[in-house]
Amino acid sequence: MRIAIVGKGGSGKTTTAAVVARALARDGVPVIALDGDTNANLGISLGIGLDATEALVSLRERLDLGAADHAADVDALLQRFGSSAPDGVRLAVVTRVERPEPGCPCCGLSVERLLTQLADTGHTVVADLEAGIGTLTRMASGGLDTAVVVAEPTPRSIEVGARAARLARERGATRVVVVANRSRDEDDVAAVRAAIDADEVVGIPDDEAIVRADREGESPLDTDPDAPAVRALVELAGSLSPHAVR
Amino acid sequence: LSHTEPTGRSTATHPADAALRLAFVGKGGAGKSSIVGTFSRLLARRVGAPVLILDSDPMPGLAYSLGVEPDDAGPPTEAVAAGPEGGPRYVLRDDWPPHQLVERVATRAPDGVRLLQVGKCSEAGLSQPALHAYQQVIDALVPDAGPSVTRGLDVGCGSEPALRDWHVVGDLPGGTRQPFMGWGRFAATFLVVVEPTAKSVLAARRLAHLATGWSHGRTFSVQAVANKIRDEADADWIAEHTRLEVVGAVPWDAEVAAADRAGRAPLDHAPSSAAVVAVGRLLERLLGPREGTA
Repeated sequence: MRIAIVGKGGSGKTTTAAVVARALARDGVPVIALDGDTNANLGISLGIGLDATEALVSLRERLDLGAADHAADVDALLQRFGSSAPDGVRLAVVTRVERPEPGCPCCGLSVERLLTQLADTGHTVVADLEAGIGTLTRMASGGLDTAVVVAEPTPRSIEVGARAARLARERGATRVVVVANRSRDEDDVAAVRAAIDADEVVGIPDDEAIVRADREGESPLDTDPDAPAVRALVELAGSLSPHAVR
Repeated sequence: LSHTEPTGRSTATHPADAALRLAFVGKGGAGKSSIVGTFSRLLARRVGAPVLILDSDPMPGLAYSLGVEPDDAGPPTEAVAAGPEGGPRYVLRDDWPPHQLVERVATRAPDGVRLLQVGKCSEAGLSQPALHAYQQVIDALVPDAGPSVTRGLDVGCGSEPALRDWHVVGDLPGGTRQPFMGWGRFAATFLVVVEPTAKSVLAARRLAHLATGWSHGRTFSVQAVANKIRDEADADWIAEHTRLEVVGAVPWDAEVAAADRAGRAPLDHAPSSAAVVAVGRLLERLLGPREGTA
């Protein structure tokens, strides 16, 4: 199953992706968390720490300097540019290589294609896409199953979310779920619902626990598992699970 | 991390010594657009002259912070023609030099700010001719650009100063990929907007690192603007973890959050809020002591 998390920068994509990935893994689903952001930081929200996250990114960048070995296939790529994250999640960082080697499987990879290739290995792939809609514009038709559109109740965030939802549908997403993030009340959720065309809208409350985890560079699942926003995200994961009865 | 000198304003050789050439960068959601909108309008008021914003973020957003309607239209296709053999694919037509492009295309925002947007990333993708037109305006504003690319920059528009003397503020795409791929070439100073979070700090470190590899012999400085801080300790924390000089500290401000939700410019919604006042202080620091206007 291919789940793509999209939305404006800063809307909460990475936190959503991380909590969903770990909650699915706890549920027994084999999960790959795919960091498709060129400014890769999913590791931080998964709980592997700032330094380990930074090291994964530099490892990938060293390809450009010729200081790291390329990977011969998808499995090797997962090994070399990936890391184990809590709850059995495998994290893969695949920031674009600026100076690709012609024909190299790990350079030619694009996030949008890798989403499908990794899912073909039997994993559920939770992809934290680059902010905005760039990756979706490049994605082939049928390139994803579920789009999770994260939007805050602000016009600029909703604007990006509406475009992303439209585009995800065009690309063949069979399910579009909108996360109305940092909602203070039902009106905030309603504002998001009114502006974005989706199958479901899930309100995630504005929660200091998320702010605290962000400041510390930790996973809110570790620091504050019972906080309302964390519980709501875990519940979202349950509904996204391939085990879920819909 | 500073490539010219360790502290203070850049001494890069930008035109007229008075014109600011700033590019705001940082993680998505750090508050770039909010600060750029407020900063540019305060700057235009302060110097009593037009300020050009180069908005290369493919997403809409700055318009709200500036107080104008969002608009996806970038530079028009008719402003460009096919480029010469072996040269760029598209070039600005002779009757559309950069100052004409600004005059005719840039959105007029409050207080004398002109907003030049690159074609926003619509579902159809970006218009290549529009991108090239925009890149040529950036080329022309590069501090040491030669005469062939500065064509038209010495010409003022009506009573306005020549474009080369304008203050220029860039709102660059979020994240780390694009700022150093052409969009920031005009800048003498990069200001990294950093929230007191691990992710924001990681983005700032990577931007600073990328800037080092990008310089191409140019002199420019990289400094930080701390945003959404709760106290002074947050600004210190940001300085320590980014190893950048923090030249501005903007507090977390419920009134700015409310302006965001309302889709209004902070300067219109909450002109005396602590965050707006702090952006004003940043402006004074970057302008430094100077006589009147440029």
